Amino acid sequence: MSNKYETFIGLEIHIHLEANTKMFCGCKAQYGDEPNTNICPVCMGYPGVLPMVNEKAMELGYKVARALNCKLSKNTFFERKNYFYPDMPKNYQISQFEEPVGVDGWMDFDTPEGTKKIRIHDVHLEEDAGKMIHAGDMSLCDYNRAGYPLLEIVTEPDIKTPEDTELFLRNFQRMVRYMGVSDGNMDEGSMKCDANISINLVGKGLGTKVELKNMNSPRFVRKGLSYEEERQADMLDQGKALTQETRLWNENRDQTEVMRTKEEAEDYRYFPEPDLPIFRPDQTFFDLVESGLVELPLTRKHRMMEEYKLSADQAEYIHDDLYLADYFEEAVKLGGDSVQLFAWLSSDVKKLLNRENLSLQDSPLTASWLTELLELISSEAISGKIAKKVLDFVFSDKKSPKTIVEEKGMSQVSDPAVLTAAVDKVMAANPDVVEAIKGGDNKQRGFLMGQLMKETGGKAAPVPLQKILAEKLG
Amino acid sequence: MNKELELWKGVLSDGTKKSKLEKYIKGWEEKIGSFLEIDLNRGAYDSNESGALAGIPFGVKDNIAVKGFKLTCGSKMLQTLVSPYSATVVSRLQQAGAQVIGKTNLDEFGMGSSTDNSALQQTNNPWDTERVAGGSSGGSAACVAAGLVPFALGTDTGGSVRQPASFCGIYGLKPTYGAASRYGLTAYASSLETPGILARTVATTKDVFDIIKGEDERDQSSLSYEAEGGQVKTIGYLKIEEGALNADVEASYKSSIKRLEDLEYTLVEVELPTMDYVVPAYYTIAMAEASANLARFNGIRYGYAPFMAENPNELMKKSRHEGFGDEVKLRILLGTYVLRSGFQDQFYVRSQKIRTAIRNDFEKLFTKVDSLVMPIFPTAAFHHGSSDLDSFQQKVADKYTCVANLAGLPALTIPSSVENGLPVGVQLMAPYFGEDRLFEIAVKAEEKYPAPQPEDFDLEWLS
Repeated sequence: MSNKYETFIGLEIHIHLEANTKMFCGCKAQYGDEPNTNICPVCMGYPGVLPMVNEKAMELGYKVARALNCKLSKNTFFERKNYFYPDMPKNYQISQFEEPVGVDGWMDFDTPEGTKKIRIHDVHLEEDAGKMIHAGDMSLCDYNRAGYPLLEIVTEPDIKTPEDTELFLRNFQRMVRYMGVSDGNMDEGSMKCDANISINLVGKGLGTKVELKNMNSPRFVRKGLSYEEERQADMLDQGKALTQETRLWNENRDQTEVMRTKEEAEDYRYFPEPDLPIFRPDQTFFDLVESGLVELPLTRKHRMMEEYKLSADQAEYIHDDLYLADYFEEAVKLGGDSVQLFAWLSSDVKKLLNRENLSLQDSPLTASWLTELLELISSEAISGKIAKKVLDFVFSDKKSPKTIVEEKGMSQVSDPAVLTAAVDKVMAANPDVVEAIKGGDNKQRGFLMGQLMKETGGKAAPVPLQKILAEKLG
Repeated sequence: MNKELELWKGVLSDGTKKSKLEKYIKGWEEKIGSFLEIDLNRGAYDSNESGALAGIPFGVKDNIAVKGFKLTCGSKMLQTLVSPYSATVVSRLQQAGAQVIGKTNLDEFGMGSSTDNSALQQTNNPWDTERVAGGSSGGSAACVAAGLVPFALGTDTGGSVRQPASFCGIYGLKPTYGAASRYGLTAYASSLETPGILARTVATTKDVFDIIKGEDERDQSSLSYEAEGGQVKTIGYLKIEEGALNADVEASYKSSIKRLEDLEYTLVEVELPTMDYVVPAYYTIAMAEASANLARFNGIRYGYAPFMAENPNELMKKSRHEGFGDEVKLRILLGTYVLRSGFQDQFYVRSQKIRTAIRNDFEKLFTKVDSLVMPIFPTAAFHHGSSDLDSFQQKVADKYTCVANLAGLPALTIPSSVENGLPVGVQLMAPYFGEDRLFEIAVKAEEKYPAPQPEDFDLEWLS
């Protein structure tokens, strides 16, 4: 896009909270079950039922708001958001509007140009709707998801590029995973992101807002926004006016398409939910929120760079996954060298995990075993080449590297007596070659080394072996 | 347990008495039509047979959920719905042994003052079948007044227990908001309504209230019950403008005041400055909440569905168009109107301010008096149709009852006198959780002036 325009992007992120049960009843909040099995009169909107607030969800909501540096509400309450939708049982959604759990926060995230700050408008709790499937001339409703606890995070339009948006979202995903409040999977629908974007001549402020929906990964959010940024710039270049509207990202066509215009927008007629009292958290509750805080991904990344001398890219890789980051730090504590650990985790270990289709959690390679493997290399008990074979065996035999080296006799031979005997034997068997080398044909040294490795079954420690051979050759 | 309930105990487990009751009910029902569904057996399974109230029948307004019984709300929309669960107030009575024998008629979703807005059936007043039993809990009032059950449950959103109790000559309690669980009450106006009790004696009203009251985890607006005691010495009586009440009702109101004086209470005339704003504020809030509460009825998961629809949106539209009656549609439309963005300050927010002012009025008032006596409705039971009072006049007439709902205060209808063959009641009001004060006054009054009985009322077979 030409640089005469400025872009403003704001996000509305929804996450499913890991609160065990639904937002307002005791039904299991779980995916993948038979349709309409996790339902009850409350989440089905039967006449006469009343909502009961899920306290765990309330706690998680406050935790996220706190992690996003929001002002936490001392008297939060729910409201009814009124609109008709076939899979929404009550035809109103219990949500928050005037007094959400948190407002006026911010979140930092890293970009190639450095750390940036995005303001958070508010964080509020609400319930999800069901799911409707259209099959031929039928429409089927599954209400397992109806009433699922949702947290919506609304940012200010502070993001400047589609690329930054993707990075922001990934950092946000990591944050919720680190906190254990949501699995943050966009492809499974446990995290959703709507984006609004406007562009305008530089210095002119916000332009006409377009809302984008239906992007089910951070990458598609970026692609959708890039498309939209271009489209809007083209329109303005041609002197056309933009319309305030909602558009859908079409993944198959790589483009956005109009869903509805401003005139068709709903009037949600919010009013306070009379069935639920105002929630006034006490100090015990705030202490609980505070005690549940964890080191957030960005802080951890920066600390890892500092503490373990990792580059930004290395730390980015390690901190991306909470388990990997914990694993890495555990291995360092056990004495593993941070750079070596990074090298192994990002290449050989990763390759093996991919090949075996395993996650690090599920693999037999614990942090202490990986550290053990690195120790075997650094103490020259095995070579780097052998180490890769040992790693293979760790995965197949599920035994520690030391055990494998011992059982399979894979340790290097560095005993000078053994090595000298081998050199003597090989030199005796190849007098011509020895002569040639002595005569200056250094190329033949490689041949002798090859023979020596064969003789020792590949286990001769190369450095002392070469030293002895050199001495013998004079 | 009181003498009346003692008399009813075991009726449903005694074959002879049960068939006598069946016969008695049948005779009355042909005249009054108070029940929409009746079954003397079905409810036995869910009642505790060793409870103190074992074998005692009761009726439940058909907007309160009873598992295994229909939950029509007097609407075509829910004509086929069988409730999969029971309201907390019902469960508590069942746990105490009482048995549901049927569901009583009402104005559709509780919207009305005559029970004529029921889409399913007409209910007549046991005192005069040409007249209404009142509403919206008209079926519950009529069946109690006729002696078909010792008590029935109703709901009171703006007077729906107290006004039919007055029309039928019985007691009707609307408890403090939050004192009894709303779980299982089909919501019409959530912030105003409470379950209520209709009975022929104060003792039964109180015994039933003691069973149903108290905090319920399923209703987070419910509160643990801490009685606001205190002896009643002074009773305020509301100053009524000339001509605001029908002559019969005015006479009855005056004689009630006189009777309370005879019982050695000090009576003082009081005014409520906010009284004139009560009806508009009440209807604004009630309709706003109703527009959301009734949104769930869309023909998809349960209830009325059209013969055919092209798509889900058309299904919802047709279900609502064909399933709701006119009064319900009117209230949904008005409720939607007052909640529109840009209009909330003018209607909804202003009504909430009036509501606060009303509460403040009462708070001040109850520093001067221990209880309050007020008329219930400007007329006695009126004729079916709109010849006596049209739909709008009926709404205006809710003035004296809906004020207790706006303030959340407890109020009790007590029978006062019979004027020209029709019973008229008055209501007593008290501060929050002051139900005991109401019972205290009512018991004293009852000793001298027990509930009158309509012709053909005959419980000889019970003893």
